[in-house]
Amino acid sequence: MIPIDFEYYRPAAADEAVRLFQQLSSQGKEPVYYSGGTEIITLARINLFQTRAVIDIKGIPECSALAFQDQKLVLGSALTLSRIYDSNVFPLLGEVAAGIADRTSRNKITLGGNLFSRLIYREAVLPLLLTDSVLLIAGRSGVKQIQIDRIFDRTMQVEKGDFVAAAMTDLNYLSMRYAAVKKRKIAEIDYPLVSLAAIRVDGMIRLAFSGVCAFPFRSRLMEEILNRGRQPLKSRIEEAVGQLPAPILSDIRGSAEYREYVLKNVLSESIRELGGA
Amino acid sequence: MDVIGKSVPRKESPDKVTGRAKYTGDSMETGLLHARMAASPYAHARIVKVDTSHAWGIQGVRAIITGDFCDVLTGEEIRDRPILAKDKVRYFGETVAVVVADSEVSAKRAADAIHIQYDPLPVVNSPAAAIEKNAPLVHENMMSYEKAIGVASIPGTNIPSLIKIRKGDMEQGWRECGTIIENTVSFAPSDHSAMETRSALAEISPDGRIHIETSSQAPFAVKKYMGLYFNIEQGRIRVKTPLVGGGYGGKAAIQLELIAYLASKAVGGRKVKIVNTREEDMVTSPAHIGLEARVKLGCTDEGKIRAAEIVYLFDGGAYCDKSSDVARAAAADCTGPYAIEHLHCDCYTVYTNHPYATAYRGYGHAELTFAMERALDVLAEKAGLDPLELRLRNAVVPGNTSPTRNVLTASNLGNLQACIGRLRILAEWDDWKIKTIDSHKIRAKGISCCWKNSSMDPNASSGAVISFNADASVNVESGVVEIGTGTKTVLAQMVAERMKMAPEHVHVRIRVNTMITPEHWKTVASRGTFMAGRAVLEAADDAIAQLLRIAACVLRTDPEELELGYGKIYVKADPSIHIKVKDICYGYTYPSGNSIGGQIIGRGSYMQSRMTYLDPHTGEGRPGPEWNVAAQAVEVELDTREYRYKILKAISVIDAGKVLNPKGAEGQVMGAMSMGLGFAGRESFLFDGQGVVLNASLRDYTLIRYGEHPDYVVEFVETPCVEAPFGARALGEHGLIGMPAALASALSRAAGVRLNELPLIPELIWRLKAGMPHDSD
Repeated sequence: MIPIDFEYYRPAAADEAVRLFQQLSSQGKEPVYYSGGTEIITLARINLFQTRAVIDIKGIPECSALAFQDQKLVLGSALTLSRIYDSNVFPLLGEVAAGIADRTSRNKITLGGNLFSRLIYREAVLPLLLTDSVLLIAGRSGVKQIQIDRIFDRTMQVEKGDFVAAAMTDLNYLSMRYAAVKKRKIAEIDYPLVSLAAIRVDGMIRLAFSGVCAFPFRSRLMEEILNRGRQPLKSRIEEAVGQLPAPILSDIRGSAEYREYVLKNVLSESIRELGGA
Repeated sequence: MDVIGKSVPRKESPDKVTGRAKYTGDSMETGLLHARMAASPYAHARIVKVDTSHAWGIQGVRAIITGDFCDVLTGEEIRDRPILAKDKVRYFGETVAVVVADSEVSAKRAADAIHIQYDPLPVVNSPAAAIEKNAPLVHENMMSYEKAIGVASIPGTNIPSLIKIRKGDMEQGWRECGTIIENTVSFAPSDHSAMETRSALAEISPDGRIHIETSSQAPFAVKKYMGLYFNIEQGRIRVKTPLVGGGYGGKAAIQLELIAYLASKAVGGRKVKIVNTREEDMVTSPAHIGLEARVKLGCTDEGKIRAAEIVYLFDGGAYCDKSSDVARAAAADCTGPYAIEHLHCDCYTVYTNHPYATAYRGYGHAELTFAMERALDVLAEKAGLDPLELRLRNAVVPGNTSPTRNVLTASNLGNLQACIGRLRILAEWDDWKIKTIDSHKIRAKGISCCWKNSSMDPNASSGAVISFNADASVNVESGVVEIGTGTKTVLAQMVAERMKMAPEHVHVRIRVNTMITPEHWKTVASRGTFMAGRAVLEAADDAIAQLLRIAACVLRTDPEELELGYGKIYVKADPSIHIKVKDICYGYTYPSGNSIGGQIIGRGSYMQSRMTYLDPHTGEGRPGPEWNVAAQAVEVELDTREYRYKILKAISVIDAGKVLNPKGAEGQVMGAMSMGLGFAGRESFLFDGQGVVLNASLRDYTLIRYGEHPDYVVEFVETPCVEAPFGARALGEHGLIGMPAALASALSRAAGVRLNELPLIPELIWRLKAGMPHDSD
């Protein structure tokens, strides 16, 4: 049971959604954009989520796009993770998405919802970071296109009232060799101990991580170290793990020591798989 | 007829698979009020102040109650538990206040708006910490509590119960042993995780009658104990229970009913409903017991175990509920199914600041089995014996005595050697025990044997009534709660078999109403088919005797010359002379209109006989009727990189006495195996240093899901139990009992370490492999 009362709006256009947001904000209703709703439901029932108005973006055409346009794949933020996986248009994203929650939940969880998740994992961001995807962001000044690494730093850094309508990914990336590995504590369905997505671009391996630190990230510094051809892989990994952007997580799913051990294994296997050994 | 041994589909299945089945929480009606709880965020703290002023400001609030509302202490073994925490909280999740409101939303909002000020107290966070000198006391006034027979508390400690089992002469036993080992095991409390969370409704009618609807395995116990706690005549309490969505022992405890009752009382007796959230069901309502145990074992050079010394520290949590009785059941069967002549067992139940424990499928036996079987593996290794061979050499046989000095017979024991023999073949034990698959993967097997007696009150009984419809179909009324075991279908099979009729024509009533349904003590301990089975058979015999008496008049012969079957009563010597049951089950009417007989109502009851309490000094006594046996195995594939593993196969060979419903029996055993593997591999409460449960939600507490199940192999051996209906033994729990031990054994073999704690997560194996500290250090 959700103990909060809230108003529900379903705008048909992006600018209408943005206007609604401003209007509801000025009324003190602390509106939120809503797409799949799994987090709203699960967090509100334990009092970890408050709002007096939700703006459903599923009626906005851009948000449900699944199309190829100008050498780019466009994925609407209201697409469910199941839909993305089933469409098989972006295998790396599909595979990473298919590791999130369970199928029944993924039938509701959306791409945009996962990017803005209040949990620390947000694994759907990993493939977007690796492919320099561009986000279509609707806001007061209209729709902007911003490359994801300029707007994602641990969390999505969009301005209040803006929302992501879609992600656009250059077609070239979709057929590149990739690796996606998710290691969990024990169950087949759980948050990650380590979730790694990697892609080989022009002979260089790019890597992004979730579950390792308290936020998902892609580290250019670690990539630089891990791609050094002459250094033995083991020592590259040791060095790269020393350059993590934050302390390794230690929580009920695993200690920092075990996570580090798993991370090193995962790195070693993925880099070998992508021919970077 | 040939109904017994057939896979008759469950009577309630069509309702369940179409979503029509109604459970307690589905109950809705006009005027119903709703209750929600405020729970303690501390494991041990003094309640300084409860400020309800904000909560009262929520619209629709009718009442707010706290521990001051009621002085009654509750508990079946020890009356140590206030219904709402009073003066202090003793575990994370304990109910501190309850709000009754017009809607569930209002009740929740108000419950969340209650400000409770606590003064934290030092926390007792493990059984070992509980028995330390100068440990903080969870209950300062333990000795003043009322206790059930046989509960021996130690004053000034956190030990509400100590049970001693003594047999033989320990000194002599150890002298005979060429090999002696010692092993310790541990696991924390966990959850039952029934699909249906607990729920209850209560109403007090203007004349003082109390109506309870509850998702309980023990509606008759609810009636009895509510009568006792609140000093109300039992006849004025009516308890109803519809289908229950899984109990696993957790719904045999009386808890939410008491809260619902107080909530109703607070609003002038109006009907109040309370439904646990998943989180409340996990920690506020009682949990599965935890354990720390030490087992010392010795065997001769021939591999005969001569002596065992066992110390259990059961983590009963903050209140006793059934934990001292679970401990008693474990102590009474502490050796597992092995003949050990010299035995010394000290079984402590301790108070901690953990969620309190109640019954859990297996009732202490998965716990004792984990301790014993892990020790057996160590003994086998040290003595250089094959683990299966060691078990076979020591397997109990008729003529041996139990730890409580009962003589074992083929009827009260079953045939463990046959189970082990069949397991040996099914598991391909002699072909390989460990093998390398590739550079990262190792497969290994582990085994476990188990036995289980049923622990019940010595005078536990079951009753049944059989009535007829005018078409000669019959209705069976039994107090067994249908908790998902299919027991009522099996009872229908028994009646059909005995009355030689089709099981479709035997109707069972699923819903229990303590006012009209004959009592079945509690739907626990795998005693449904046995006790209720004996009762319905007696009721069937009673009905048959009445039918034959009327038929004898009509057919002008003696009842002894007659037989019932196929809808008729016929003369044995000449079946062409007969009368239809439908013509006499509501009396027989002669052509003149004269009528004889009347409607037939068969009655039956069964009470266990010759049960005794245990001797407080030696444990001698007869705690239960039979020790049914099983042998089990698990095969795993371990990935040596991160020590993740797959459970490939799980096997149970159980002496079922007689399989009454093969598909039903297989389902029960498979479900139990799954539950045992979940308990062993992943299900455990994780506590922080202050006794707070860190994973009290299904986000963080993972259960086995579809796709993670191994190949389940279930087979039965059939050694009849003479006293049981059709010889059938208990089998609802055995599938679970050996799984933790067998899984730990297989993983230990694969990883080359000794795994003695649960849950068996990859990180634990990794820590042991790396020689790193882990919980049991």
